[in-house]
Parts: sequence; structure tokens; C-alpha cells
Amino acid sequence: MKFLIAVGSEDYSGPTLRVGMEVASAFNASVTVIKVGPKISEHSVSQVKFTQERLEEWDFDSPGVEVLEWAFGFLAENQYISPAVVEKGFPKNTLIERGKNRSEVYLQGTTGSDVSLILRNGDIISELRDEVSSGQFDVTIIGGSQKRRMAHDLIQYLDSSIFVVNQYDHTKPYKLLVAVNDSHNTSKAVKYGVRVSQAFDVNVDLVTVSRTGTFKSGYHRAVNKAERLLKRMKVPYKTHLLKGDPIDIIKKTAGNDHIIVMGTSTKNPLIKYFRGSKPLKIVKTCPCPILIVK
Amino acid sequence: MLRNIIFWITQKRWFLLSILIGSILYFLESPEGLSIEGYRTLIIVIMAIILIIFEPIPLPGVALMMLFLQVLLGIDEPNDVAKSFMSDAVFFIMGSLMLAVSIVSQGLDSRLALGIIRLTGNKTWCIVLGFVSISAFLSSFIGEHTVTAMMMPVGLTLIYNTSKDRAITKNLAPLILFSIAYGSAMGSIGTPSGGGRNVIMMEYWQEFGLANITYLGWMRYSYPMLLLEIPLAVIILWFTFRPEQKVLDSAVRKLKIQVAKKGAMTGQDMITIIVFFLVFLGWVFLSHKIGLGIIALMGVFLYLVLGLIRWSDLNRNTNWGVILLFGAAVSIGIQMKETGAALWLANSVMDALKIISEDISVLRWVISVLLTGTLTNLLSNSATIAVIGPIVLNMGGDPIIMGFSTAIASAFAYLTVVASPTCMIIYSSGLVKQSDYMKAGWKMFIMSIIVLFIMSKIWTIY
Repeated sequence: MKFLIAVGSEDYSGPTLRVGMEVASAFNASVTVIKVGPKISEHSVSQVKFTQERLEEWDFDSPGVEVLEWAFGFLAENQYISPAVVEKGFPKNTLIERGKNRSEVYLQGTTGSDVSLILRNGDIISELRDEVSSGQFDVTIIGGSQKRRMAHDLIQYLDSSIFVVNQYDHTKPYKLLVAVNDSHNTSKAVKYGVRVSQAFDVNVDLVTVSRTGTFKSGYHRAVNKAERLLKRMKVPYKTHLLKGDPIDIIKKTAGNDHIIVMGTSTKNPLIKYFRGSKPLKIVKTCPCPILIVK
Repeated sequence: MLRNIIFWITQKRWFLLSILIGSILYFLESPEGLSIEGYRTLIIVIMAIILIIFEPIPLPGVALMMLFLQVLLGIDEPNDVAKSFMSDAVFFIMGSLMLAVSIVSQGLDSRLALGIIRLTGNKTWCIVLGFVSISAFLSSFIGEHTVTAMMMPVGLTLIYNTSKDRAITKNLAPLILFSIAYGSAMGSIGTPSGGGRNVIMMEYWQEFGLANITYLGWMRYSYPMLLLEIPLAVIILWFTFRPEQKVLDSAVRKLKIQVAKKGAMTGQDMITIIVFFLVFLGWVFLSHKIGLGIIALMGVFLYLVLGLIRWSDLNRNTNWGVILLFGAAVSIGIQMKETGAALWLANSVMDALKIISEDISVLRWVISVLLTGTLTNLLSNSATIAVIGPIVLNMGGDPIIMGFSTAIASAFAYLTVVASPTCMIIYSSGLVKQSDYMKAGWKMFIMSIIVLFIMSKIWTIY
């Protein structure tokens, strides 16, 4: 499997990297860390590139490389990677252009085999979408953004599953909330949930919500299937069949000490665009990390 | 599939909106007193402004649209559109962009660094004064983004030599980088070759038969203002980003060592400077006969012939899209004049102003300067002058004062990251925040308008 971790800055991206690497190791996935720098206006793009070429001659790195350098250091320091540093590694931070606005970054003294580093510039939604589709990533991990529309757009337009690392505190004990319903994405969400629970060594709350309090056979089938899998994988769990508005109930049950895992909405994209969906609404309102499985 | 379509629509919404607005306006009747061709020219202007501000499609695409719509909407014949597209002003923009690449590629930045440090010493305020003054002086001759590209390594070296910890240089970094960017922006008003917009205004004066200003004649009007602005800009920047470090002793020492490592001045460096000096002499003494653009192209020719720059480097680093855009903007500006759209718009503005006050001489000036100053922070400054120029020159008053005020106000691109390449270049360093532009920019904007107002009063006695 392939995981893509998007980092913004040193100040905010620590939890995103930490969660991303924990989950990636549970999936035995290869990891790429990406930094998307600001969009350069077309009026200025040549002049900016030209200036950056001059800066390289003065041994300055391109903007954004320092964030990737910090991310690499963070991963090494926290022993998520054991960097292969060799004498004949890259003599200085090196950018290799691969396509428009996209460079592969190789840090000084490393071989680039531990974790891939990508630097892009432009509109964050378009760039991440392009990276996910060209790199065929399975999961994209992003931090909780202050810009509410950004998470919405990423969930809507990215082809991969998305893990929004919202207000994660690694010193706090978390549980896992897996939302179960009769949609076809649920079974994949449960499988992902099992891996995440193993990664964090936490208990699982299987939550199924009905507005009326009566649960159709499809709901029962989905719950039974999830329970069977959890038993087989020896993951401790509790099942909750609850009545009420699904968004309110999930939000209330999750509180701020759960990691939520749920399948993506199966609604028509046009309806999702105008009216939103349960995962989108939960991402907007829940103060905890959420994995939306596609 | 549907998701991809929705994504495309969200990405291109401003493009779709501009087409919708253009289509609706096309089917409405043209306002009284405005020819059908003039009305359709204004439709193109409105669509282009939306597309340039929001950039939903590549800018060269906007340029092409401005050209083919002139023919498709029946405003002019294909050959006439082609003629209006290329002019000496566009030659100048093309030539100056290529000159910039040629000069910056020579690595004169290290010489510049040494010069600045020798001049300023190690006191931070002296360094800031030096950065603003030298950026302003150089950019008045060779264009703002050229100077910013050369000054950036010097500025960044000082910042990083002070400390790599951003918390320590959180004020010093914006102070030095804005000294470069704003100094360069201010300087670009100094001579016609300081910016493409200056040449566009000169072209309009000539094209509309209003005035014939020489290179030195321009400097007579603009340089006093530039000299007045320099100390004021330093004061504004200093009090906006009060640095923690009052002396940059070790940073300056390290910079001197770094520059020394780059070796002595080479013959190639000397030839680069000599060629540019020849170009400058050409602009001063020959431009009224053969045009600023032709002289700039001759300079580029010399750099190529002398092997100081390769065509592949020029081709790679010249922003051809911007040249297309400016050509198209000048073409549409000329159509605004030819079709009477500029006159109609100018009269409409004047009629509106007369409702506020009978004496509109000051009001007219304020409106033209504020409109230019605002648009230049959203559009490119040359595109602003290409569109606003014909309107302002039709608003009455002294066309030289109105023209100078408008051209100079287009340099007040202090407020946003996208206002000019210089702002974007320092932003791309990652050391300044978007909010920093407003923090310092509004003070610079108001200061510049006040100084321009004073100067416009002085110009009346010229």
C-alpha cells in the first residue's frame, strides 16, 4: 500500500506525521511526505523561478525544502525511519524536477530510500489530487485545517482514502470508533479500522445509528460481519446500536478521545457538493482524527 | 466522471462566470452615446479583468482571447488587431525581460553585496537604508524584478547569517526583504525603463498626440518623488518591523567572507556592465528617435553576440506569456481609444463626479490615482496602465500630470502578494507572511499617495 502524508509547517505537522507513520506501519505501507508550497502567480512565475536559480548558486534551498528536511528529521528522531545515511549520499539537498510544479527532494547525505519527499507548488487541492492520482496512493493523511472548505474539498475530490488528523494528542489514550451501516464502503472501513486499532493497540467501538430506532437487516448483516472480523483478529470491541441523528450520535459518542473510521458517502457527487455528506459534516464538527475510507 | 466534472467546474468557475457575464452583456443594448464597437471592447475588458485577477486559465490564454474576440465581435479587422498588438512598448517589455535575464545570469549579485556592505557598515538601520536606496536606484533603470532577483541572495545571506531560527529573525527577515521589494517597486517610477507601464504611458501620449516626453524629461518629473519616498519608506518599514538586532556585525562579516570566496571581478562582469551602460546611453540620447524597445532589443542582441547569455537560457527564463498579455492589453487599450469607449467611460466618470462637486480637478486626480492604485494590487501594473491609461487621458485636466500620476500610482503595488513579481519573489522565500503585506503596505500606500499629491502640485509649475 502507498500512503501520502501532507505536511504544512514545523509548528503544526508533528501530529500528522506521527499518526501517519503509526498507521502506515500497521499497513506495512510505503510513505511519501509531500509539501505543497504557495501558488505562484503566472505573472511572476518566470521571475520567481529565475530568482530561485540564483539562490541555489548561493547554496540556498528552495522554499519548502526546510519543511521536508524537518519532517525527515522528525521521523528519524522518533524512530519511524532509520535513515540510510551513507558517505556517498547526495552531496547537498537536491531537487529533481518531475513535471510541472513538482520536484522530488533528496536530502544531503541520504540515499532517498527511506521515505520519498515531494515538493510541489500551487493550489493545494489540485496538487494533492494530481499527486494522489499519478502516484496511485491508497491513503492521504492531512492535518486538520483552519480552512473548513479545504478538508471538504479534499474529501470530495481526492481518489484515495483520507485521514484527517484533527486535534491529535499523542500523550492521550484514544479508542477507535468504527461507524457501521449497510453501505458497501463499510466493510472496507472495518478492515481499515482493524489495522488502525492494531497500530494504536486500542479498543474498538462499533457504532450503528438509526434515525427511527429500527435497524434493517442490512445493518444487522454489516454489524455481524464487522464483529466476526474483529473477533478473528482478536481486537477487543463493543457494539452500540443507537437511535438518533447519525452525525450527532457519532459526534457525541466520539467525544474527543476517539479516532473515527467510517466509509465514504455513496451519495451522488452533485448532492454531496450542494448538501454535503455525513463524513464531511463529521470532519467539520468532530474534534478528533477521522479516517474516511474510499 | 461526475466528480471530475464538478471539480473542473469549481476550478474554472471564474472562467465560466466571465463567459456568462460577457454573453449577457453582448445581448444587451449598448448604452447611449457609446458605439457598438466601443461597447463590445468594454465587454472584452470586463472579461479580461476577471480572468487576470482570478487566473482560472493560463494568462497567455487571456491574451489570445483578448485578440481573437476583437475580430470575432467585429471590433476591428485581423490585420489591424495584429498591428495594434505589437508596438515599441511591447518591444520594450520583451527586451527588458530578456535584458534582466542576461544581467542577473552574470552573477553580479555578489559584487552588489560587497558594494552595499561597504556603503552601509553593520548597523541594521543603515543596511535597511542601503537596501531601499540601492534597490530603488537600480530598479529605476533596469526594472524592479531584476533588482529583486539580484538583491534577494544578499538579503537572505544576511538573515540566515544572523540566525537560522526564524523566531530570532521574525522581524529582521520581513524588514530586509520588504526593503528590497518596496525599494525596487518605488524605484521603478524613476525612468521610463524602470517598468513597462512607463513606456506604455509614453506610447499613449504619443499615439493620442498629447505629449512627447524624453527619457530625461521623465526623470525630471519622477526622480524628485523617488528621492522623497526613500527616507519615508525606511522609517515606515523600521517602525513596522522593529528588528531585535540593531547591529548585524557577525552576519556582515560572514557575508564579506562568502563574497570574497567568489573571487575578483571578471572581464565578463565588466562587459556586462559596459553593455548595459551603452543601452542606458541609448535610452537617454536615442530613444526619442528609435524607441526604447528597439534599444532594449539591441542590448539583448549584444549580450547574445558577445556570448554572455545563451538563447536557451533567455528562452527558458523569459516570461513569454506576460509579453503576450501586455501586447494584448495595449491592443485593447488602443481599441478603447479608437472606438470611443475610453472617452465614453471618462465622460461617465466625470458626470458622476460633477454630482459630488462642481470643481472636479482634485476629485478627478484622486479617482484616477485610487483606481490605478487599487487595480495595480489586483492586476499586473502594466496591464492596469494599458487599460486605465486611455480613460484617464480622456478625463480632462493636464494630460501630462494625469498620465504621470497614473503611471506612478501603478507602482503602489504594496498591498498583496500577487501585486507584482517583486512581492511574489520575496513571498516565495517563505520568510514573509501574507499579512505582512497589509501590515506595511497600507502605510506605504498612503504615504505614496500623499507624496504623489504634493508632487502633482509641484509639476504644475514645471
